Amino acid sequence: MSVITITIDGKEVQTQEGEFILNAARSNGIFIPAICYLTRCSPTLACRICLVEADGKQVYACNAKAKQGMNITTTTSTIETEKRAIMEVYDVNHPLECGVCDQSGECELQNYTLEVGVDKQTYSIADTHKPTQNWGLIHYDPALCIMCERCITVCKDMIGDAALSTVARGGENIEAAFKESMPKDAYAMWNKLNKSLIAPNAGTTLDCTNCGECTAVCPVGALVSSDYQYTSNAWEHTQIPATCAHCSAGCQISYDIKHTDITNPDAKIYRVKNEWNYISLCGAGRYGYDFENRNVTKNSIAFDAAIDAFKNADTIAFTSTITNEEAMILQRLKEKFGYKLINEEARVFKNFLSNYSTITGESLYHGFFKEVHSADFVVSIGTALKTDNPNARFAMNNALSMNKGAGLYFHPISDPVIAAMSKNLMQINHAPLMEEATLYLMLDLFGDKAEMPSELTSYLATFHSTKTVTIEETVDEKVTETIVKKVLNAESGVEEEVSEHVTKTVKKKVSKEVEVDENRLLELLNAPAGFSETLTKYLAKKSTFALIVGSDLYTHPNAANCARLVGLIEKYTSFSVTMVPNLANTLGVALICDLDESAGTKTIGYNTAGNFTLSALGEGDLDMPALNQQEGTLTSNDKRVNPTNAALPYGGYELNDIASALGVKEALTVDYTSQLPLNAGFKAVEFDTLPNYYTNAGEEVRGYVLESQRSEVSGDESVQPLDEKYGLKGALVYLANPVLQFTSFTAASHQLQESGGLYGSTSFMNSNGLSAGDSVRVRTSLGEMVVVFIHDSKINGDIPYLPTFDSKINSQALFGGYRFSNVSIEKV
Amino acid sequence: MHSEPLNDRNVSEQSPYFYVDIETYPTTSWDKFKQVVKRTFKGELFVGLWVVMREMIKFDIHTVQYPKEKLPIGPRYRAVHKLLRLWESGYERCIGCGLCEKICISDCIRMDTKIDENSRKEVTEYSINLGRCIFCGYCAEVCPELAIVHGQRYENGSEQRAHFVIKDDMLTPLDWLTSGQQAEFPGFGAITPNESVTKTPLAY
Amino acid sequence: MDMAFIIETIAKIVVILLVFSALAGLGTYFERKVLAFMQRRLGPMHVGPFGLLQVAADGIKLFTKEDIIPQNVVKPIFKIAPVITAATAFMAAAAIPFWPEFTAFGYKVHPIVADINVGILYVLGIMAIGLYGPLLGGMASANKFSLISAARSAAVFISYEVISGLSLLAPLMMVGSLSLIDINNYQAGGIGNWIVWSQPVAFILFWIAAFAETGRTPFHLIANDHEIIDGFGTEYSGMRWGLFFIGEYANMFFISFVIAIIFLGGFGDGSIAGAFQLLLKVSFFFFFFLWTRAAWPDVRPDQLMWLCWKVLMPLAVVNIVITGLVMMF
Repeated sequence: MSVITITIDGKEVQTQEGEFILNAARSNGIFIPAICYLTRCSPTLACRICLVEADGKQVYACNAKAKQGMNITTTTSTIETEKRAIMEVYDVNHPLECGVCDQSGECELQNYTLEVGVDKQTYSIADTHKPTQNWGLIHYDPALCIMCERCITVCKDMIGDAALSTVARGGENIEAAFKESMPKDAYAMWNKLNKSLIAPNAGTTLDCTNCGECTAVCPVGALVSSDYQYTSNAWEHTQIPATCAHCSAGCQISYDIKHTDITNPDAKIYRVKNEWNYISLCGAGRYGYDFENRNVTKNSIAFDAAIDAFKNADTIAFTSTITNEEAMILQRLKEKFGYKLINEEARVFKNFLSNYSTITGESLYHGFFKEVHSADFVVSIGTALKTDNPNARFAMNNALSMNKGAGLYFHPISDPVIAAMSKNLMQINHAPLMEEATLYLMLDLFGDKAEMPSELTSYLATFHSTKTVTIEETVDEKVTETIVKKVLNAESGVEEEVSEHVTKTVKKKVSKEVEVDENRLLELLNAPAGFSETLTKYLAKKSTFALIVGSDLYTHPNAANCARLVGLIEKYTSFSVTMVPNLANTLGVALICDLDESAGTKTIGYNTAGNFTLSALGEGDLDMPALNQQEGTLTSNDKRVNPTNAALPYGGYELNDIASALGVKEALTVDYTSQLPLNAGFKAVEFDTLPNYYTNAGEEVRGYVLESQRSEVSGDESVQPLDEKYGLKGALVYLANPVLQFTSFTAASHQLQESGGLYGSTSFMNSNGLSAGDSVRVRTSLGEMVVVFIHDSKINGDIPYLPTFDSKINSQALFGGYRFSNVSIEKV
Repeated sequence: MHSEPLNDRNVSEQSPYFYVDIETYPTTSWDKFKQVVKRTFKGELFVGLWVVMREMIKFDIHTVQYPKEKLPIGPRYRAVHKLLRLWESGYERCIGCGLCEKICISDCIRMDTKIDENSRKEVTEYSINLGRCIFCGYCAEVCPELAIVHGQRYENGSEQRAHFVIKDDMLTPLDWLTSGQQAEFPGFGAITPNESVTKTPLAY
Repeated sequence: MDMAFIIETIAKIVVILLVFSALAGLGTYFERKVLAFMQRRLGPMHVGPFGLLQVAADGIKLFTKEDIIPQNVVKPIFKIAPVITAATAFMAAAAIPFWPEFTAFGYKVHPIVADINVGILYVLGIMAIGLYGPLLGGMASANKFSLISAARSAAVFISYEVISGLSLLAPLMMVGSLSLIDINNYQAGGIGNWIVWSQPVAFILFWIAAFAETGRTPFHLIANDHEIIDGFGTEYSGMRWGLFFIGEYANMFFISFVIAIIFLGGFGDGSIAGAFQLLLKVSFFFFFFLWTRAAWPDVRPDQLMWLCWKVLMPLAVVNIVITGLVMMF
C-alpha cells in the first residue's frame, strides 16, 4: 500500500493505492452519490448511481480502484442522464407515505431524488401487493424496499450471520420498449430491482443474532425496529452522543431522545443510532438502551444511611459497569479510608495484564479492532466470541469475508454462528483448561524460532515427533497413445487411415510413504484431522495477523502463565494481540483501582450484593444513576477512553455526592476525568474537551487512546510447562451470557427482558432428555441451584452455560473463578 | 379593488400615492410671527373644533360592545384548531406525520403515535398549548391531509398560561359529522358547502 | 366672631369640598364621555347605567390601591406634593362666589366662604402656590420624566401667571375693586355690561392663560403622556395620584367660575335666572376644556414660551396701556 495522487473533478487528492474511488472521494469531502455501497463491506453494484468517469471510461466508483494519476470526473451529461433515470426508476411505485414512514426525512431515496431533481416519471410498471412482514425485533415493509441489498451485504460481510438473501419478487416484467429507450445502467438496475425482494433465509422469520444492523443501514423505511415503528419522527429526536455501556467494545452510539408523551415532558430514549459506515452495533447495544434508574428522587434518609454504612464498612465491592471517574472516586476513597476494593473480574484482568507486561515491557496490549478488521488471518483464543464481545466477532468476520482471510477459533464450545462466518475458519474445540496448549501451539506455529528463548524452542520441540504415514497421492502421468483415424483425403477424395501420437495427462492414484511431523499439541487440543494441511492452505498469501484473547485466559487457574505466553506471542510472532476485557469498563477499572483479593466483613455493594447496596438497577438501599444517566468516560478494548453523556435526567444521589460527604470532594464526577492516573496511560484532559465522532474518512475521533507505559523487563521469559492431563473432562458447564445479554442492565431494558436459566444446545438437550422450560438442578462442587432449561440453537456441543445477566441467578457462586466447571445436571 | 396599484410605492401619475403639499418652514422671526397670525385668524382652530363637535352631534357611534355584540368573523379566521374526519368513512384524517409539530414556530403542538392493529400509524393523543400558540396557521397550511384546520372559537380566556386543548376537544364528533356539522376549511381544495358533498376535498 | 359665622363657614367649606370633589369625579366621567362621542365612541358603558358608576369604581380603585413610595424619592416631599395641589385648588375657591345670596330657612346665605376685598388677587395667588404640587412632586420623584415635568411646570406656571395677571389688570382698572362680588356687581346691569365687550383682548388672553394654568390641551406639557409618561405623576399611585387629579379638575371648575364672573357677568343681578346663567357659563367653559382636548394638538414647550413672551405679554401690556389711555381721556 502506498500513497498515490489522483484527481477528482480537478482537485488533487491523496489516497491509498487500491482504495475505491468512492472512499477516496468521501474522505476528501467530494460528494459522489451511492446508495448500495457500505464502507468496510464489499461493493454490491445494485444501485449503479455512483457512476463516474475515470480516465475517460465510465466506472462504478464503489468498486473501481484508484490508480496513480487517475483523472476522475464525477459528472458528465451521460452520467447525469443515467442518475436521473436511476432515481426515476427507484421512484416507480414507491409508496408516497413519507408522512408516516419511519425514515422521516433521513431517507436516502428522498435525498437523492431531490438531489437529482426528479420532477416527472417516465417509467411505469404494474405494482404488486407486498404485505409487510414482522420478523420479531425487526419489521420489513417490502413495498418500501428499493433492493439496494445493504442489509444482505452488512449481514454477510460485517455481522457474519448471513441471515438475509433475495427471493423472487413476482409481478410483471418490464416492458420491452424501455430496454431500447432508457439508459443502459438504469435499465440494468431496474431489471435487478424488479426481480427480487429481501427475505430471511430461515423462512418467515429471522434466524440470526438480532443485531439489527440491517435496520441501521436501510436507506429507506423498509427495515425498521418493530418497537420504534410509528412512535416518533426522526427529526424530533435530540441525539445524545454516547458510548455503549454494555461490553468492552465501547461502540459509539447516539441515544435518540424525545419527551415521553404529551403529558410527560421528561426525556425518554426512543432508539439508539450508530455510525453504521464505521461501527456496527450488536443487538444489546441497539435494543438495550432503556436501562435507566427511573423516578429517583433525593432520598436523604437512604443517603444518610449510606454515609453511615460507608463509615462502618471496610470493603467496597463493585462491578465494572461504572465509569472511569467512578472508579477514580472509589480509588480515592480507598486511599483515604483504606477500603478494600473488590472486583474479581477486573482483578484477574489486571493480574493478567501485569503478567503480560513482564514479558513485553508494555503495560497494555498492542492490538486494535481496526487491525483485526484489516487482518487476513485472525485467531481467537479463550473467548466465546459471539456473546463476549460481538464487535470482536464482527471484526473477525469482516476480516474473513473482506480480506479473503482465514482464521482459527479455539474454544471448548462449538459455535455454529462462528462456523458460518467463513469456509476458511477452523474451530478447535479443545477441552477446558487446555488454553495454555493453544498458546503453545500459536508459539509453535508462528513463533520466530530463531529469536525465541532456546528453552522455549526446545520445549516446543518436545511436542513434535516424526511419523511415517502412507498417503494416497494423485499424480499426473503423461501417457502417449497411438490413435488411428480415418481422414478424408481432400485431393483424392478417398478415406485414408492415419495414425497419430497423442499425449494425454492422466490422473493416477499412488500410495506413498512419507515422513510427517506430528504435533502432539494438536492431539491435546482435539484438533480436527488434517489441521496442518488446512492451516497451510489458510496461510497462503497471508500477511497480517491478529489474535483475540478473552476471559477464559484471565480466569484460568494458570492465568499468570497464560499471560506470559500471550506476551511471548506478542513478542515473537507477527500477531497483533487484542484482549477482550469482560465488561464495559473492566480495562479502566483494572488500570485505575488497586483491587483486593479478599473482602472484609462489612461490604458496600455497588451494583452487586453487599451489606449496604448502591444500585443503578433500583434494587438496592440507595439508588445510583445508570450509565445512560451520567456523564463520564469508559475505557474500551481499543484502549480508548471514550466519553459518554447523560441521555436521561436523574434526580437522585450519585457516588460523587457520597464521596463529597465523606470528604473526597469534587463538584462534579467529570472533574475526575482530568485526574485519572497518568502512570496508567490516562491523560490529563478535561471531560468537556473529549470528542466523540467519526470523520468522513472513517477516522475515529473519540476521546483519546491510552498510552502504553514502558517498563523494564527482567529478561526472564521462562514459562511453565504444560500439564497435559489438565483438561477438564466429564459434564461441564460454562459461565457465559446468551446473545443480546451482558449484564442486568441489558435485561432491564424493555425489548430485551428475559429471565435466565441453563442454556444448552440441541444435542445437549436431546442427550439429557430435556426440553425447553424444564427445571434442572445444576450442582457443582461449590453449590447447587435450580434453574429453567433454555434451548439455545446458536451453540453446539455438550457444554451448557449459565448466564450472569440475571441477578436472580447467582451463577458465579457455582464457579471457582474459572469460567468452566464440572457439573452434574438433573431434571427436577 | 385590485391591489396592484397599491403595491407600487413609487409616486407617479398612475400611482395612488402622492406627495403631501408641505409649506416651507418659516426661517425669520417675522415669518414665524406671520405664520402664527395667519394660523390664528384663518380659523384653523375652529375647523378642528367644528369637526369633533359635528361628530358628537351626529352621534354616529362605531363601538361594538364586545361581550354583548360580536362581529361576524371571516371563514378563514385563525382561531382554535379543529381536527377533521373523512366525510366518506368517518376516520380521522390525521395520519400522524408530525409536520404540524415540526413547523410550529412556537413549539406548542405535541402528539403521541403508535402502530395500530392494522399496521397503520395511529395518533393516540394530540395536544396544542393555546397559551403558546400564536395562531399563525402554519400547522393548517402544512397539513397534507387537511386534517388540522382553524375553527371559529376565539375566546380562550383561561386561568393559566398553559392552556391545552387535546384531541377530544378538537376532533369532530361522529354525530356532528353525520349531521353535516363539520365545516370544511374554505382554502386550498375546499368544497362549496351547499352542494351535497360526500367526498373529502384532498387534491391529489 | 360669633359662633354662627364659624358654623356657617365650616358648613360652606364642607359643602364646597364635597361638591367639587364629586364634580371632579363627574368631570372625569364627562370628559371621557365627551371625548368618546367626539371620536365616535361610547365611553364608559358597563358600570352602572351608561357607565355612570364608573366614577365610583375609579374612586374605589384609587382608594384601595397600594400607596407605593418608591425607594429613592425624597419621602416627605413626595408625600406632601399631591396634597399641595389639591389643597391650593380648594383654597382658591374660598374667594369665589358660586351663587348669588339667597335665603334658606330664614337665614341669609352668602355662597362664598370669604368675601375678601382682594378676592381675585387671593385666587390668583393661591393658584400660583398650586405650582408647588407638580414642582415638588416632580423633583422629589427621583425620575427623569418627573423632573422634566417639574421644570416645565415651573416655566409654564410662572410665565402664564404674567399673562393672567396682566390681562386681568385692565378689567380691574375699570372696576376699581379686587373683590369678585364687586366685579360681578359691576356687570349686574345685563348682558351689555359684561366686561368681555369692553375688554375682549383681556378675555382672550386670560382664557388662554387659563389653559396654561390648568395644564390642559393644547398646553398639556407638564404631563404630556407621549413624551414624559405622566410627568410629575409618574411615580405616584393610588389616592396620592388621585389628589393630583382632583386638584386638576377642581382647578378647571374654579377657573371657569373666575372667567365667567370676571368677563361674562357672573350671576348678574343675583336672581335665580342669573344664578343658573352662571352655571351655564361655567359649564360652557368646562366643556370647552374637553372640546379642545378632542380637537387640538399640543404645542411644543418652546412654542408655548414663545407664545407667552413674544405674543401674549406684549398684547397684554398694550391692552393695559390702551385701557389706561381710554380711561384717562
